[in-house]
Amino acid sequence: MTLIGRGLALLGLILSPSAYAEWQVNLMPGVTEISRAVYDLHMTIFWICVAIGVVVFGIMLYSIINHRKSRGAKAHNFHENTLVEIIWTIVPFFILIGMAVPATATLIKMYDKGEAELDIQVTGFQWKWRYHYLGEDIDFFSSLSTPREQIANESEKGEHYLLEVDNPLVIPVGKKVRLLLTSNDVIHSWWVPGLAVKKDAIPGFINEAWTVVTEPGIYRGQCAELCGKDHGFMPIVVDVRSEEDYKLWLAEMKQAKAQASDAATQDWTLADLMEKGEEVYNRTCAACHQVTGEGIPGAFPALKNNPIMVAEPSAHIDVVLNGKAGTAMQAFRDQLDAVELAAVITYERNAWGNNSGDLVTPAQISKLKQ
Amino acid sequence: MSEKPTIFQMFLSALAAMFGVQSSQNHTRDFSAGHTWTWMLLGVVVMALFVAFVILLVTWALSMAGA
Ligand code: HEC
Ligand SMILES: [Cu+2]
Repeated sequence: MTLIGRGLALLGLILSPSAYAEWQVNLMPGVTEISRAVYDLHMTIFWICVAIGVVVFGIMLYSIINHRKSRGAKAHNFHENTLVEIIWTIVPFFILIGMAVPATATLIKMYDKGEAELDIQVTGFQWKWRYHYLGEDIDFFSSLSTPREQIANESEKGEHYLLEVDNPLVIPVGKKVRLLLTSNDVIHSWWVPGLAVKKDAIPGFINEAWTVVTEPGIYRGQCAELCGKDHGFMPIVVDVRSEEDYKLWLAEMKQAKAQASDAATQDWTLADLMEKGEEVYNRTCAACHQVTGEGIPGAFPALKNNPIMVAEPSAHIDVVLNGKAGTAMQAFRDQLDAVELAAVITYERNAWGNNSGDLVTPAQISKLKQ
Repeated sequence: MSEKPTIFQMFLSALAAMFGVQSSQNHTRDFSAGHTWTWMLLGVVVMALFVAFVILLVTWALSMAGA
């Protein structure tokens, strides 16, 4: 295509109605009292800026047009005018104070750390989030669920491309929820625009944020602090439910946990573990070690043809359970349950031609996890 | 005209400097007589007063916000 052809195609794209369907340039008002206050503040300041712009450019345009050279205008040649200087210093001063007063009022509201009805610890990981409901014994990881084929452009991208997770954060509507944010590795930032919450998650520190969502629904966000290779692949989904639905969800989560510990005591065949292991591997490990098991030379070791895979399994199990301190290889002990750990280890030992024939059982892992 | 400014005039000039606007008449007057040291001392005093003023303002604002 010629340059002009390409330009026209681009113009067509910009002007086509479909390009505007999703157009939202402005901040969203959101679904909490705070997010609406932030939105109002934003609009107030926006209109102040518009007014200043109109006045300044209006005077400028008027001067340019009415005092132009062709009309014989002569420039005034004076050096100072104390009165005008004082005015143009005082006016912005009052404008800034006028903006600072409502901004401070909103900030003070945001920092109100009064009693919360639910405390959730949020931990950032490379590259997923962990939600621990304090006092409820509920603790799970939330990772990207967009299929790899969509990311690799092998299939049509879905509606919530890169903004969908396997396990969303579920919270009750109308309740004050306090988030205690920290990180396991590097600095992340938990950001959900609809709630107007954006707070850094820093290793070794606990930051506090809170929210009271007034409308049930699904709200999406992202990590907002560049945190490495898959920074763009650790979205946040908040599922706000009515009080009853939230209670139901709590009960379901507890039941699922009990079932998982039952599954760990059952007998698993190699084929079953391989099938489950592949799913766990692609979801949890492939971001670094790659679907092919070949890793990325210099960054993530290959697991294919890795001597660890055919040697006695204990070293392999140890590195997966406990990670390697100081490297990107995390401890998966708490991230995955016994069945998932056994499955993924068994999978690695037998996939990609590793064919060790070893079967690592959930029961074996359960013992090590205690 | 280039008389020595009085202390009060110098104080006003220091405030004008903080504000960022000064008439050229006063400007000429201030630079034609007096000691550098007096101005430096005055600068420190005016800054200290400003800091004290800001502290008072913040204390007052916080008490209004109920902190
Ligand atoms: C965030 C990136 C990342 C993820 C995700 C990850 N790993 Fe690793 N893994 C590494 C790195 C980096 C190393 C090398 C550590 C070192 O320097 O010794 C490693 C090492 C290993 C090793 C040891 C290889 C050897 O030769 O010593 C095994 C086994 C392993 N990972 C398995 C897994 C499994 C199983 C998963 C998923 C449950 C997983 N990894 C997920 C980054 C990752
Ligand atoms: Cu991150």
